[in-house]
Amino acid sequence: MNDLSNIAKKNILKENQILIQVLGICSTLAVTNNLRNTLIMAVGVTLVTALSSMTVSIIKDYIPRTIRMMVETLIIAFYVIIVDIILRAYLPEVSKALGPYVGLIITNCIIMGRAEAFAQANKPILSFWDGFTAGLGYTLVLLTVAFIRELLGFGTVFGIRVMPSSFTPWTIMVMAPSAFFVVAILIWIVKSKLIKGSEKK
Amino acid sequence: MKRDSKTYTVFFAFLITFVFIFILSILNASTVKQVTDNERLFKVKAILKAFAIDFKDDGEALRLFSEKVEIKQVDEVELYMSSAGDQKLYGIVFRGNGLWSTITGFLAVDEKVERITGLEIISQAETPGLGGRIEESWFKDQFRSERIVNGVIRVKSGSGDFDHENGKVDAITGATQTSKSVEKIINEHLELLRRVLGVN
Repeated sequence: MNDLSNIAKKNILKENQILIQVLGICSTLAVTNNLRNTLIMAVGVTLVTALSSMTVSIIKDYIPRTIRMMVETLIIAFYVIIVDIILRAYLPEVSKALGPYVGLIITNCIIMGRAEAFAQANKPILSFWDGFTAGLGYTLVLLTVAFIRELLGFGTVFGIRVMPSSFTPWTIMVMAPSAFFVVAILIWIVKSKLIKGSEKK
Repeated sequence: MKRDSKTYTVFFAFLITFVFIFILSILNASTVKQVTDNERLFKVKAILKAFAIDFKDDGEALRLFSEKVEIKQVDEVELYMSSAGDQKLYGIVFRGNGLWSTITGFLAVDEKVERITGLEIISQAETPGLGGRIEESWFKDQFRSERIVNGVIRVKSGSGDFDHENGKVDAITGATQTSKSVEKIINEHLELLRRVLGVN
């Protein structure tokens, strides 16, 4: 039990994949201009990370060392294509909006990172939990970025208008460059406030 | 057999690939119908939008499509017909090469091919955020009731063009090649429409 909460704490806060390890930045920049797409992308990444970590962990003793990474990529691609098929069949609008980014989940470094760093050396259930919480950490940051960008860029939250009609949308927030600012500011805040203590040790 | 021997590696790689691909094939085959239905619905919606027919949901879209849009086969071209007020509108599905991908969409014109009445993109895979923006409404709306000058329209880079009489629309900044491709595709299909409708 202790293990589980430690892993969760580490993955969500102390070693957050985006804010601390600076992994998975491409999708953070690309899909965060509205909350709905961001949420679906994040759920996709979380599921793929958890399931591929678990699968890698289950078959880790049978994988020949020389083709270890190829097999990991195969497993990741397998789950990503499943997500893509489900989206195309049941959520076509979202699938269109996310377009090529769904396929690009394969190249998200977080997934490969967890498979290599954790799943190779741990039991399936722990690996699943590790992947899942790493995904949660990613989701949290992505949603924060998307919230700021959608609020300022469109004046809406999940497509619902919250800003008064006199509010002028900041067009830059809809475009990719704004994600650089928002993510950088987030990293700055988190680094300087939340984890100051642990860095001094 | 040792885990790092060549035979085992090849055997393992073959087996695991086979298993995963097999599962994916089954999944893919079982959702094919759903996916083609979605694509058809998307096309129907694009055609309705280009003809400026409003609809509320998927069911209404399909109903209005069968009520208000006629399909006629002319010289191997599928010609879609509808009307707005007392004006007859014609449209065709277009397909052409963008910068990376095939762009398909729907182009609607008036009876004499003097004005474009609507343009919708059905599918494309241009650069997201750059060429991919041809799907955005600000770009498509520029074509609405744009006059065709000398048989063509021009996609020009510049600073906003709200004049619907000059046959020019604004290109997308940072996506010159995609904008040029769209121009070429549309002009080719305007030519085709003129031929099919017998106007010069």
